[in-house]
Amino acid sequence: MEPLRKPPNQPPALGTFLLRKIYSEELFEEIHGDLLELYEERMETKGKWNASAHYIKDVVLSARNYDLRRTQHYKTQNNSGAMIRNYIKITLRTISKNKVYTALNVLGLALGMAACMFIMQYVAFERSYDKFHENASNLYRIQYNNFKDGQLQYECAAAVPRVGPFMKEQMPEVVDFARAYPLSMVVSYQNINFRENRIHIVDPAFLKIFTFPLLTGNVETCLNEPNTVVISETAAKKYFGEEDPIGKMIRADGQYSMAVTGVAKDVPENSHIKFDFLISYQTLNNQTDNESETAWGWYDFNSYVLLRPGADPKEFDKKFEEALLAERQEDFDKYNFRQEFPLQPVTDIHLYSNLLQESEPDEQGDGQAVFFLVIIAGFILLIAWINYINLSTARSIERAKEVGVRKVMGAVKGQLIGQFLTESVILNLLAFTIALLIVMIGISQFNGLTDSKLSLAFLAEGSFWGISALLIFSGSILAGLYPAFVLSSYQPSKVLKGKMTGNKSGIYLRKVLVVFQFASSVCLIAGTLIVYQQLKYMNNLDLGFDMTETLVVKGPGVFTADSLYRPTLQTFRNELLQNPEIRAFASGTNVPGDEIFWANGIRRAEEPRESNKAIYIAGVDYDYFPAYDIKVVAGRNYGRTFTTDTGAVILNESGAKYLGFQSAEEAINKKVFWGRGEKTIIGVVEDYNQMSAKIGVTPLLFPLITGRSSFFTIKLDKTAGKDLKQVFEKVETSYAKLFPGNPFDYFFLDDFFNRQYNSEKKFSRVFTLFAGFAIIVACLGLFGLSSFNAVQKTKEIGIRKAIGADVAHIVMLLSKEFVYLVLFANLIAWPATWFVMNTWLDNFAYRIAITPLVFVVAGLLVLIIAVLTVGYKTMATAKSDPVKALRYE
Amino acid sequence: MKGNNLGELEELVLLMVASLSEEAYAVAVREELERSASRAVNISAVHSSLYRLEDKGFLTSEFGGATSKRGGKKKRLFKVTSAGYAILKEAKETKEQIWSNIPQLSFSTI
Repeated sequence: MEPLRKPPNQPPALGTFLLRKIYSEELFEEIHGDLLELYEERMETKGKWNASAHYIKDVVLSARNYDLRRTQHYKTQNNSGAMIRNYIKITLRTISKNKVYTALNVLGLALGMAACMFIMQYVAFERSYDKFHENASNLYRIQYNNFKDGQLQYECAAAVPRVGPFMKEQMPEVVDFARAYPLSMVVSYQNINFRENRIHIVDPAFLKIFTFPLLTGNVETCLNEPNTVVISETAAKKYFGEEDPIGKMIRADGQYSMAVTGVAKDVPENSHIKFDFLISYQTLNNQTDNESETAWGWYDFNSYVLLRPGADPKEFDKKFEEALLAERQEDFDKYNFRQEFPLQPVTDIHLYSNLLQESEPDEQGDGQAVFFLVIIAGFILLIAWINYINLSTARSIERAKEVGVRKVMGAVKGQLIGQFLTESVILNLLAFTIALLIVMIGISQFNGLTDSKLSLAFLAEGSFWGISALLIFSGSILAGLYPAFVLSSYQPSKVLKGKMTGNKSGIYLRKVLVVFQFASSVCLIAGTLIVYQQLKYMNNLDLGFDMTETLVVKGPGVFTADSLYRPTLQTFRNELLQNPEIRAFASGTNVPGDEIFWANGIRRAEEPRESNKAIYIAGVDYDYFPAYDIKVVAGRNYGRTFTTDTGAVILNESGAKYLGFQSAEEAINKKVFWGRGEKTIIGVVEDYNQMSAKIGVTPLLFPLITGRSSFFTIKLDKTAGKDLKQVFEKVETSYAKLFPGNPFDYFFLDDFFNRQYNSEKKFSRVFTLFAGFAIIVACLGLFGLSSFNAVQKTKEIGIRKAIGADVAHIVMLLSKEFVYLVLFANLIAWPATWFVMNTWLDNFAYRIAITPLVFVVAGLLVLIIAVLTVGYKTMATAKSDPVKALRYE
Repeated sequence: MKGNNLGELEELVLLMVASLSEEAYAVAVREELERSASRAVNISAVHSSLYRLEDKGFLTSEFGGATSKRGGKKKRLFKVTSAGYAILKEAKETKEQIWSNIPQLSFSTI
């Protein structure tokens, strides 16, 4: 026999499945054959998509033939198909009968679902970081913890260069390791110069353990030789245009020539480490005399290890600690310090790591914020479903007669429950469709508002549809269950007599649900307000230095003769200061807001070598402190007239305390041992925030550096705003003339500094957006509920009006109940919000105290919204003609 | 039962089966309807007509051989019964009868 071959193109299985349900067994095969024939024909002429669509259409239209040749049909009780069709029919009739209620119900659900989809998309993106690496589950970053006298000094994302190779030598679990040393340099090719910030010096294994595929070049060899570089696709276009970059020489900072040996695909957005240039590690070894292989103290190397599948990182940490002690115990004891190198899963870095020297500190995500968002998404969906429950139970009285008649005609409870559940599923599906539309239309606005990069690609993913189907199905069943049970339990004898007043337990449940909705709204509003306050507080915080009107220009990377640097800088300074708009000029290795990577050991001169402590260092010139308006609290600033200042240092107040001085004054003229020799402390400056208010003040050492520096600070006069462009041009002309071959890179310090708050700003915008969503949804529910309430009380209102009650009185009467509920909701919401937000605020070094005012404002806001919503509907009822009301029914 | 009257589509389908004679199965009938009567109908409508006509005794059917097309499924081939021919004829005659009653006059006014 000829083996049965599956046709290559099958029509949608769902269609076939339904067709089998529609036709009796005897008819199915031949009719299926007809449909298949049409399908095959259409596929050839119009393509697969069209054929599938027609196939489904044919199946759906075939539903009319359900009764065809079903001789058994009326003999059995199997009429579920007919019943379901009846349920659907009744649902459609109910929908068209109560358009307003249905619209409120479906819109509320749709908004809730849309918000949920947005949030889940956002969350999915945040959680997708570094998952694209093939080895993602076995990749770890080596964290570096440093202890002095048993006290944790710092936790750093960058480890020491020796630890990677050492780990591989000692631990059989390590498959390979790679180090990445971040740099910022001016890269030039012919006469194209740019400052590049995404440069890493990496081990050859970097491209192998991570999944950063090469477009051209050999992964095995491209980073083996010194002075070779792999560049990204973007960088290749930027420097070489259409030319083939392979084998071309580029220069870095004007002095290092490197050959391009590979082009890598651009790093995906969701990578915690981003690069445009990867320089071979051997290059660094040659420059540092192999220091970058052997050093145990220099910590600038983001080090990664790939473990064997199945290796347990906790066990590994323990085992490695022993191996490390065996090697380093002597040094640890001698200098009274300790090092720890725990592993950190690479996939956790984006959301859960918050260490010093992160690869992309400004992009670092916030796991806690993401967690909050998931909770908010859940709440919004819950609120929407509560609306559904509320509106359906409220309307149950209206439908009581229908239930009564059905029961008299022989409907059993199960059938009624089935009917109401079908209704629930249909409404939920409708809402889901609208939610999809909202998402499709709103996604670009959402991206703009929250500065994220979501796409509609999720619509093509099976997991999205699976989860949605599961959620909608379970949600609609859960939301439909309560109304279904309430409705189906009515006694027909009571209902049909017309003496139907809503039952007590239903009202009670409704109240609880409304309280819950409004408590959530108050929480979200109060939370949003607190986030805003904290952001505003951080933006306006006195950081201890002046960052207004400050233009910062990156120092030249390329400079041919070192001996000429100082005079050229002097000329630059003089030229700039000739402009009346420029108030001051200073140079330094850092500016506030720029993370300091330079750290070294320091100790008081009288202390033994073992008490060396690490301190972060920012080199400054004579004008740095005055330019930034940082006050000298003791001693003096560096001065050009003091020739001895080369042997002097300045600390900040925290730095003085760090070295054990009781006060700033006490530190003056004391000797410290730092770098290669003894230095005298000549001054102590006020503490200021080098980094954002999230981090706080760290001890700092400011040596005098008049040579090459990374940043030129140019303080503008307050009046310079008008001809900013002119000043700019002057600065640029001077810069281009004196430092040829360097790009003119500049920024305004306040923008630069405040970018550290970007993630908080983004978070607060997302938070606000969804708090808004939640409130709209809650209000829709309240609107429906109050209008229903008003309809129920039409007669009562009519009588009251006939007797002489005025409109205000009636509005009060109808709104009172809801006002109580909202007030009660506040009582629940306040402590909950206080607790959650207090935890969040504890993440900041400088935080606001939560004031009761926030709660009052949030509570009032919700109350006003609720009163307006309820009032709008009740007003209409209260104003209506009592004669009409009394004739009602 | 609705009696043995033919619906409009039923009559057309019956005619198509008669004219197709050999290969009269649902897909062919549908095609023929579209080609010679310019009626685009869904396959499910053809199905319901065919099976109802058979139930009324105007059509008989047998299975044709399986082909490699249509997923190897067999097809049901329909034939018009003598009762079927009779009712088609009757329908035609009724119409002609009525046509002949229409006064010639009315044509000239068009």
